Amino acid sequence: MSKFIAWIDERLPVTKFVKNHLSEYYAPKNFNFFYFFGSLALFVFILQIITGIFLTINYKPDAASAFASVEYIMRDVEWGWLIRYMHSTGASFFFIVVYLHMLRALMYGSYKKPRELLWLFGMFIFVLLMAEAFMGYLLPWGQMSYWGAQVIISLFGAIPLIGESLALWIRGDYVISDATLNRFFAFHVIALPLLLFAVIYLHIAALHTVGSNNPDGIEIKANKNKDGVPVDGIPFHPYYTVKDIFGLAVFLTIFMFVVFFLPEFGGFFLEKDNFVPADPLKTPEHIVPVWYFTPFYAILRAVPDKLGGVIAMGLAIFVLFLMPWLDRCKVKSIRYRSISYKILLAAFIISFIGLGYIGMKAPTPTLTVLGRLFTIVYFGFFVLLYFTSKNEKTKPVPDRVTMHD
Amino acid sequence: MIKKYAVFTVLLLFSHLSYGASGGDLKPVAIDLGNKASLQRGAQIYFNNCSGCHTLQYHRYSKFVNDLGISEDMIKSNLILTTNKGEKTKLGSTIINSINHDSIKEVFGVVPPDLTLTARSRGSEWIYTFLTSFYEDETRPMGVNNILYPNVNMPHVLWYKEGLKKLDENNQLILKVKGQLNQKEYEQEITDLVNFLTYVAEPAQLERYSIGFWVMLFLVFFAFITYLLKIEYWRDIK
Repeated sequence: MSKFIAWIDERLPVTKFVKNHLSEYYAPKNFNFFYFFGSLALFVFILQIITGIFLTINYKPDAASAFASVEYIMRDVEWGWLIRYMHSTGASFFFIVVYLHMLRALMYGSYKKPRELLWLFGMFIFVLLMAEAFMGYLLPWGQMSYWGAQVIISLFGAIPLIGESLALWIRGDYVISDATLNRFFAFHVIALPLLLFAVIYLHIAALHTVGSNNPDGIEIKANKNKDGVPVDGIPFHPYYTVKDIFGLAVFLTIFMFVVFFLPEFGGFFLEKDNFVPADPLKTPEHIVPVWYFTPFYAILRAVPDKLGGVIAMGLAIFVLFLMPWLDRCKVKSIRYRSISYKILLAAFIISFIGLGYIGMKAPTPTLTVLGRLFTIVYFGFFVLLYFTSKNEKTKPVPDRVTMHD
Repeated sequence: MIKKYAVFTVLLLFSHLSYGASGGDLKPVAIDLGNKASLQRGAQIYFNNCSGCHTLQYHRYSKFVNDLGISEDMIKSNLILTTNKGEKTKLGSTIINSINHDSIKEVFGVVPPDLTLTARSRGSEWIYTFLTSFYEDETRPMGVNNILYPNVNMPHVLWYKEGLKKLDENNQLILKVKGQLNQKEYEQEITDLVNFLTYVAEPAQLERYSIGFWVMLFLVFFAFITYLLKIEYWRDIK
């Protein structure tokens, strides 16, 4: 066996790779609950690819037969319903996991020097993921698929001069049609997953270059023993592999519970209107995007002007890219930052959840006012952060990581 | 640490309870997909009264053999009422009918909708409420109207069972003409029918709960084992 491995190693450095990235890759020993979501996101990505391949085997990207082919999968394909529910539930869980993963970065300053690129790659993954989810949602060809896509693509029409022709170019038709379905299918099953794969690779490569941050926001590489091993680091394998397997087991318990017992999740994961085939002549009463888009949708609606709304929505995502430069505080972790950052972050989380709720509801005067308020809080977070973070009164940061639990 | 996971898990497990409540004026209906006799009766009512105009175009007759325990011969002789090119529709076919879309549109103004997924798009309670909310209304072309779905074009097909109701001055339904069944019997028949349509909307429900139970059992056990494994490995981390 060892001879065989030596033979391989001469030709492909497998052993070296395993050492560099697992058995001698040192991660801080004080990871907490929030550090499960990176590996979980990777797991869900792979799960979506695998279930997606099986769905593609029976799905038909054709406006005349798409809806029926999904029902065919749900009834006539062996275990088709399970594969489909895993894929549809997986989409929502992908966002749950990614949002928590991003929140972790905000809490512990994981986007700060030297992890700016890591954060940027992560943000690109987030944007690609939104495109992936949006295009995937058209494929079942239900009423909400159709009209949701119609509304979102028409937003491009608000862009001056090129808007209308841009929307036409994306749809491939004057309305959402068979042409749109076909191209969205192409993007959803191959173009975007390939891009996602590439950027996820870069994200992990960048992570393994700079090393993980941790809840204390201390650089463990600054404190090494005589062998050059960080004293607060432990080998990723076996310590974090066994820990992440446990995290995965808990995740799967929750995930599979939803798959088997609540696949529609009260209309949040699979919307009622999407069990009606797409009908270009019949607009549903309330067109709402799936829950993971609703915070941004609420920002769009908060601005009275269509173009202004589109800009605000785009800005809401774009501003996140700038986090490494907006947050000028030297201390990374929220544990040692001032009360002002804690209040700002809490307000940001509340506004994000609040916007998510408002985005799901039909607009009322109260909700509109509330939506505008939350939009101001959302953007206020970034503006105030820029001005308060430079001279923040921080607590002393310990030299070594602390173990809390 | 473990406490945190536990709280998180429990929160997620019970978060669905709040979705149970349904909107407005829908009447509750006791769905029991484990009750095969009810599903069979529902199928009987469906094919005798509904299938002439409505289709179940995504579902196949052959599914009834395993799902509802109806024999192939029984399906062929009692449930398949259509022909294809002069021969009786085959067992493996989807459940469609032979209405002419143009002529039925002339009669009712619309093509009667396919009902495969109505229990998912509108909900079981909606169908139940709809079918128990018809009342006499001479101003409507079909002579009836519906409280839940005002000015619906559908006639009250099951009036011979329910009888004909009318609205009194307090907007309450009162029986005007007696039907074959009394109120309770009619409600039971509609429950069976809605039960059947709920099954048709998602046949996977018949197996998903029981499989899910075992999957849960395994995963909880697996999580426990991996927790012990983690503890064992992490013993030496101070």
